[in-house]
Amino acid sequence: MTLLPRATAKAILWLLLAVPAALMLRGLVGGEALPMDLLHPSGETSVRLMVLAMLPGPLIDAFGPNRFLRGWLSIRRNLGVAAFAYALLHLAIYVIDMRTIAAMLDELGLPGIWTGWLALFLMILPAAVSFDRAMRWLGRGWKRIQRLVYAAFVLALAHWLLLDWNWKPAAIHLLPLAMAWLLRAWRVSTKVTRERTFA
Amino acid sequence: MKTIRPPLVAFAAALGCALMASPAQADGEVTCNSGPKDKWKPMAELRKKVWAEGWQLEKALVQGDCYEVYARNEAGQVLEAFFHPVTLKKLIVYRRGQEIFRAKGFDPAG
Repeated sequence: MTLLPRATAKAILWLLLAVPAALMLRGLVGGEALPMDLLHPSGETSVRLMVLAMLPGPLIDAFGPNRFLRGWLSIRRNLGVAAFAYALLHLAIYVIDMRTIAAMLDELGLPGIWTGWLALFLMILPAAVSFDRAMRWLGRGWKRIQRLVYAAFVLALAHWLLLDWNWKPAAIHLLPLAMAWLLRAWRVSTKVTRERTFA
Repeated sequence: MKTIRPPLVAFAAALGCALMASPAQADGEVTCNSGPKDKWKPMAELRKKVWAEGWQLEKALVQGDCYEVYARNEAGQVLEAFFHPVTLKKLIVYRRGQEIFRAKGFDPAG
């Protein structure tokens, strides 16, 4: 049963996804927050959305499709594109905070900085082909392109860790994915063993 | 066939990045052993001290038992520095997570 028309549901989803950005921008425009205060929340929101976009795949492989996971899977691309949008917002805030290109270039070689740039660049292609026609054009290649997000995610965590040297927040974001990946690997291996046993 | 190679490759890359960087102390874990707050110098004096360093102050706050400062130096580099609240001595300075200055004999872990 469909409760809402698809377009309405999508509009509501994007409205919800835009709420954190609206709050951040309100703080910035209202002078309550400095650009540097918004670097963390914008980056963290991007990472959280990446986690949400990457979770349903391994969970479906591990538990099989159910209504909840299918619904989650159906909005996965939106979550991924929103993660990229928040990464761009993070970049825009960084540019405002740094003020000059020379200052940005000066710190480009620092591990905590170039890992962030690389993570963003790796997200460009998956985000650029996140529409139906590109999916049809690219066929199986589309999935391969989307796998760049895994590398982007880990680099984003490295960027976070290298700037803060506080492993707990980064680990908390990695944990659900690591558990889902392990669960999927375990399910796949037990399935293969069972198939071999009964073959 | 299912493969988990991309995450593994990415983990290896991240590990490489981590190994290339010189480790620093998490900013929430820097300890200044500064004693009771009624002995601390006021923030206004800290601001003067930062100005005397030739830095442009962005933000000053209390972090644990230290004064923490976000500032820019004359070269425009973004710095995060910790000062002792009683002596206002500059204890440790980070630039984007990398330690670039430590006062002689100071142990950020207390």
